Amino acid sequence: MNKLVLENLTKSYGEVHAVNNISLTVEQGEFLTLLGPSGCGKSTTLAAIAGLDRPTSGVVRFGDHVLFDDMSGRFAPPEKRGFGVVFQSYALWPHLTVERNVSMPLELRRVSRAERTRRVGETLELVGLSGFEKRYPGELSGGQQQRVALARAVVFRPPLLLLDEPLSNLDAQLRQSARVWLKEIQRELGLTAIYVTHDQEEALAMSDRIAVMRAGKIVQLGTPQEIYERPQHPFAATFIGSANLIEGIVEQSARRGDAIVTRLRLADGQHLDGHSAVPMAAGTKAKLAVRGERMRVAEESGANTLDAGFTTASYLGNHYEQKLMLAGQEIRMLVDVPQPERAGKIHIAESDALVFSAE
Amino acid sequence: MNTQSAETTLAPPRIGPALMPLSRSRMAQWLIFVITAVLVLAPALPILLQVFVAGPLYERDWDFTFANIGRLLGNEAIGEIALTTLAFAGLTTLIAQVLGVTAALLFGRTDMPGRRVMGDMMMWPLYLSHLIMVVGWLIVYGPSGFLTQAFARMFGNAPWNLYSIPGMAVVAGVSQAPLAYLYCLYGVARSIDPTLESAARTCGAGPLTVMRRVTLPLMLPAIVTSSALNIVIAVEMLSIPLFLGRPARIDTLSSYLYLEGIGASNPQHGMVAASALVLVVLVGATLALQRLLLSRGHRYETVKGKGTRPAPLQLGALKWPLFTLAVLYIAFVVLVPVLGLVLRAFTSYLTPLIPIWDVLTLQNFRDVFQTDAYMRALWNTLIIAVVAAGLGTLLTALIALVIQRSGFPFRRTLEALAYSPRMVPGLITGLGVFYAAIVFAPFGWLRDSIWILVVAYIMATIPLGLGAIQPSVVQIGADLDKAARTVGADWITSMRRILLPLMKPALLGCFVLLFVVHLKSYVVAIFLMAPGLEIMGVTMLGLWENGAAGVTAAFATLQIAMIAILLIAARLVFGVKLYE
Ligand SMILES: Nc1ncnc2c1ncn2[C@@H]1O[C@H](COP(=O)(O)OP(=O)(O)O)[C@@H](O)[C@H]1O
Ligand SMILES: [Mg+2]
Repeated sequence: MNKLVLENLTKSYGEVHAVNNISLTVEQGEFLTLLGPSGCGKSTTLAAIAGLDRPTSGVVRFGDHVLFDDMSGRFAPPEKRGFGVVFQSYALWPHLTVERNVSMPLELRRVSRAERTRRVGETLELVGLSGFEKRYPGELSGGQQQRVALARAVVFRPPLLLLDEPLSNLDAQLRQSARVWLKEIQRELGLTAIYVTHDQEEALAMSDRIAVMRAGKIVQLGTPQEIYERPQHPFAATFIGSANLIEGIVEQSARRGDAIVTRLRLADGQHLDGHSAVPMAAGTKAKLAVRGERMRVAEESGANTLDAGFTTASYLGNHYEQKLMLAGQEIRMLVDVPQPERAGKIHIAESDALVFSAE
Repeated sequence: MNTQSAETTLAPPRIGPALMPLSRSRMAQWLIFVITAVLVLAPALPILLQVFVAGPLYERDWDFTFANIGRLLGNEAIGEIALTTLAFAGLTTLIAQVLGVTAALLFGRTDMPGRRVMGDMMMWPLYLSHLIMVVGWLIVYGPSGFLTQAFARMFGNAPWNLYSIPGMAVVAGVSQAPLAYLYCLYGVARSIDPTLESAARTCGAGPLTVMRRVTLPLMLPAIVTSSALNIVIAVEMLSIPLFLGRPARIDTLSSYLYLEGIGASNPQHGMVAASALVLVVLVGATLALQRLLLSRGHRYETVKGKGTRPAPLQLGALKWPLFTLAVLYIAFVVLVPVLGLVLRAFTSYLTPLIPIWDVLTLQNFRDVFQTDAYMRALWNTLIIAVVAAGLGTLLTALIALVIQRSGFPFRRTLEALAYSPRMVPGLITGLGVFYAAIVFAPFGWLRDSIWILVVAYIMATIPLGLGAIQPSVVQIGADLDKAARTVGADWITSMRRILLPLMKPALLGCFVLLFVVHLKSYVVAIFLMAPGLEIMGVTMLGLWENGAAGVTAAFATLQIAMIAILLIAARLVFGVKLYE
């Protein structure tokens, strides 16, 4: 089967490791997203897979073919790899019509004229651009250009489709519908896709798996549910669903049932139980990640109920973002009813309080 | 499900054997590299060799020696010649810069009436060769020139003398002022935020103060760059020192080289090569100094303005006095020499003593058209200009693509090589190609064929062409050729199908620029002349030296007409504007 395998892939620019020792396997038919903030090395990774950039070290394999191996010095140029690539800038050739843009991959593959016409027509229909054959890219809207770029990348049915922030140049509304549409086409054609974005919503909605990246490394790899529910790194927790991070000291940590429950002492002396991946030594520094929508306002004291000071609230449409001070830190929670400025209490369920070592 | 998903993958095209160590793209890149290296180095090496060989290179037994350098250093005349060259170049540059900067400020930044038209006319000398300029000046302002005589008749002796270093510098300076003007104009249009000027106005500064205190300092990089170029051009200038300096026994390095290498009955090749080296060092030092002054950020010093032009500065009461000065300048410096030249072409004798209609004639043109060698010169010039401009445009485009758009490992070396002819004055390029054709057997066939001129012209103008094309390549988004690569095009195909078509306007502009330069060129060809290889410029040079002023003027008029037609056609048909 056509699996894409990256082994210890590194790309350095002088001292800077744009991609730092990444290993990753993408299964056939899978939609994998590289998610991370700008500058974390997503595009560099994609370029290494496409063959647009020569990595510094590591191995890139696809099926039985070694595309790059620094040991043997093997490097297949992009034109030999045959992957479809959709560029952030679309990179449509301005001097060629839509039809010629899309048929270029077929021309280069010496496909007969009749076959070309058929395939181009089909593909343009697939992306909803029939009737635009004779237009030039400059005569299309952003959304239409994006569709041409996709058509050009899939017209030759590549075994692997690489997309670098393809929706980032569209306005918010178009982005929503393009997301659904793109996902449908990927499913319909059964394409293996690697998708780059810095938009967590996009990643959660479209992906089979997400690789969360930071500073050239993969921080966590998993399904959208796993990434959201069980972040394995404070960065993953804050970048996806923007969890609050609260500092504390480990008091005790022990296995209880399936979970490891770790008790933290916060800066103001209050205590809170949360789950951690491994038992943690007492006295070490820790970070607590908790999502805004997993906290609720409490009226009475009890287990895992903390004193806090509500400050301001802002209206977000169907709910409010409530700011509050907890153990000397400002954090955010989502509430249905805004709280007046007052001293109050909040409750956090043990399983919603994720404890990480603060290294 | 949709039938489309049943479509099978179309494998990438096979381009040669898979993963061949040297793909056809890499081979093409090597080919471009080798052609450039040979073109640039082949003429340079023999000159270096000649410096250390006693006899001429074409005598087969070479006797290696340092005597040439010794003789050069021991030769007091050379020291004086070098000093003269520096004085001439310095004064020329000073004049050109003052005129050019003033014009850029007045025509580019103020509300002076007629600034558009005068700005265009200001550029004329740039399209004409120095040879034509100096002939025009001599016809009008020379010792027996039309206006000199007219002035003498009315007021006694004219106070000017072209046969002097200041005289040479004035003619050279006004010929080079357009270059300074051009750089500063775009320097101004590009970098000046009009609010800076407005801010100064609100602080109570008058328009001239604003220019002096705000606009001028912002133009400094453009002034430095154009100064360096003008020094280089003045150092290697031939016709002006030859026609204006010689009669007064003033020699510059170029005229010395010319007379020693061509004019002398027994040329001392070692000395010629050694003094050529001095010339190269002077030019190289100037360019190095320019680099040092600008240190960074001005790599592609080419001329591309912004679409929006800042609001012009109000001149107020100074408007009309400055306008008058500008009109006088354009009239007497640009218009009158060209008109004098054309008039001379249509007369048998031009003097204020005889009414012009008594001497009107077409004989000068008849002479041109009825002499085989002159007609050959016309045709040769046209053919060489077309071929050299075409091949030069192609070569520089390919060089630019390798430099900017390939993974070729030696692309930085290629860039350095391609720009290196900047250091070599045209006269030396010609000399080097001449030597190369003698020394390197594979180039032997070039001798006595017009291809030797084509090769020399191409080599001399690689930096110019590259400067015109490279910025346009830089402007094309890198994703466009990357996209072509991902859909199955190798480097060659993506350049041919995507990049080259997108570069079409720049290629056309480059072709027209090179064509004009080749049409007016003569310095490069001087050492390469042989019977049958005549070109217009060198023919004019010889004609003027032999006193055939009328035929020279007719030739010059024809050349001016050709260039004007070409430029107008390029603008009307292709929308190509040179220097923009
Ligand atoms: N050509 C280059 N030279 C030097 N550094 C680069 C180059 N290209 C990318 N980088 C650096 O590599 C890092 C990763 O870049 P990139 O992969 O484009 O990030 P992303 O696509 O995730 O925003 C960035 O810090 C960037 O500055
Ligand atoms: Mg990116």
